[in-house]
Amino acid sequence: MATELQNPIRDADLFAPDDGHQSNGRMSAEVQVSVIVPVFNIAGEAAVIYTDLCTSLENYGQAFEIIFIDDASTDATWKRLNEIAQKDPRVKLLRMRSSFGETAALQAGLQHAQGERIIFAAARVRVNMRALPKLLRKMDEGHDLVVAWRTPRQDSGLNRLVSHAFNWMVERFSHLRLHDINSSVIATQREVLENIVFYGNLNIFIPILAARKGYRVTEEKIEQQNGAFRQSKYVSEYIQRLLDIITVIYLTRYSKKPLHFLGFFGMIFTVAGVVMNLYLFGYRILGFGGIAGRPLLLLGALLLVIGLQMISIGLIGEMIIYTHAREQKEYNIETVVGA
Amino acid sequence: MAKADQKEIFCSIVVPVMNEEENVRLLHEAITRVMLEWGRSYELIIIDDGSTDRTFDILHEISRHDPCLRVVKFRCNFGQSAAMAAGFEQSRGEYVVTLDGDLQNDPVDIPRVVEKMQEGYDIVSGWRKNRKDKFLIRKVPSKIANRLIRKTTRVDLHDTGCSLKAYRGEVVHKIRLYGEMHRFIPALARVEGARIGELVVNHHERKFGKSKYNLSRTFKVIMDLMTLNVLLKYLTRPLHFFGGLTVFFNGLGFASLMALTWGWSQNHYVEDELNVLMSLTFLLFAAGINFLLYGLIANSVVSTGEKRDERLYEFKTYGN
Repeated sequence: MATELQNPIRDADLFAPDDGHQSNGRMSAEVQVSVIVPVFNIAGEAAVIYTDLCTSLENYGQAFEIIFIDDASTDATWKRLNEIAQKDPRVKLLRMRSSFGETAALQAGLQHAQGERIIFAAARVRVNMRALPKLLRKMDEGHDLVVAWRTPRQDSGLNRLVSHAFNWMVERFSHLRLHDINSSVIATQREVLENIVFYGNLNIFIPILAARKGYRVTEEKIEQQNGAFRQSKYVSEYIQRLLDIITVIYLTRYSKKPLHFLGFFGMIFTVAGVVMNLYLFGYRILGFGGIAGRPLLLLGALLLVIGLQMISIGLIGEMIIYTHAREQKEYNIETVVGA
Repeated sequence: MAKADQKEIFCSIVVPVMNEEENVRLLHEAITRVMLEWGRSYELIIIDDGSTDRTFDILHEISRHDPCLRVVKFRCNFGQSAAMAAGFEQSRGEYVVTLDGDLQNDPVDIPRVVEKMQEGYDIVSGWRKNRKDKFLIRKVPSKIANRLIRKTTRVDLHDTGCSLKAYRGEVVHKIRLYGEMHRFIPALARVEGARIGELVVNHHERKFGKSKYNLSRTFKVIMDLMTLNVLLKYLTRPLHFFGGLTVFFNGLGFASLMALTWGWSQNHYVEDELNVLMSLTFLLFAAGINFLLYGLIANSVVSTGEKRDERLYEFKTYGN
């Protein structure tokens, strides 16, 4: 899957007639594009989303399927979707037993998707579904993953501000120059998603993880539609987004070498602590006075302890990687040619 | 296909390259000449670590005419450790030889290092006794680093950084190469119990292209050394490592407690001093207990990991 373990030239010579026959057969029957659409309480819009997707994808011309993933909606969404699916065999439905979020929806959808190309478009983002084939056309130009850049944006100022801050940070740390990485609307090859590990809420980081694996990532403008946007009621969600930035830095730079990350800060703290205590030690030995009442003593000891703890955690991380992650590869092979 | 070839290939040669368009043709010619002269079956695996120049095109072109050459192209630059790991995984030979893609190693040495292995080594490392590099920026740091590596890992090599090394195939599939650990493959192999030898090899000046070395990696090297040291000594008993820290901090805590009690009973300290000393005592004891807990966690990490009883060993039976 990930690696093409064959010589393209030789294989082409050997299987030339066969190959042509195969690709002809595939054209007519097999699904080429799978659209995965997580939905939540959108009973009123289900039909519109469906028709928008159908008209645009029929225009694009590749055989497609639409997989709706109902993230345990509490309204009539599931019923409406069933009505649609009964009329159209290209529509598949999945329903989560309880709300698991978009990453889980993507993983579940991917399991049931048959196409080589995957479009992931959460209904909540409200991009213009009729414009999704633009992402596919961009892929045709030779990109492995295309992120939708929501512009002009219609949702609230606060959402936009957080999003801007997030993208700015990502740009600083991953050198990926994109405007809207966290749009949650992407088009990509199945291979890309199978080659990266995502879990929790990491689906918004898929472009970063893919770029890190060497895939060609780009973006395409898609307008956002008006409507009722969900705005977080909780500050905690925005704090979580800030913590996600740390996740990005860690995942892209240090996940395979924890001691390079923790050791750096650990060393600084340890050295600072040792210097402080050596100073106090000299102070006492040379008879300048007592040190028991000096707060510096406490600070020095504290820094020393924190520093050594960081290094220890880093070492435990290295042990985990050494003993548990043997099968994980740090490289991604594009092709192998020759014997 | 791969299975059938497995037994036949005597020696796999693994060469990571990156942006070496002037060198690859010469490299391929030099290696091919040496190997044909030697007469053993071989495969040449070149890993293109995300070159941005014509390196891959040239290699692809060569591979059409040479059935012994396999080219692995990375999607982007993943670093030398990853390139080596990929090469090792692709290799099928009974012996695996690695060398640099910049022609500074001499392919003539390939048969020599492999023959040296017959003396009973699992790894034979090259030693560039007459190094043809700039003295101040390459040789001096290398000397210091090698001494440090020898001291911490207790792998007795003069020149760990030499890319020309020969491995027994079994060893190559056993070591876990990650991060930037390619510098320390012999030490990593020691973790698994390999026997390591050394052989003086030729070294040439770089003809084309630029060196990819830079000095700023010192910090990472030190961190990797620390990791290796712990892996080598404590992988099977991490509690002994963290237990040392526990004893150290609890000892300090105890000393602090003694000073506190003594001063208190003698009315030696004023209240401020008592407060500071008391906090210090608590802090040190807390730290000591923390390290003990780290040790316990590390123990379960190691014991749930892959089977540790698969170390390299020789198996012999006597009699019938």
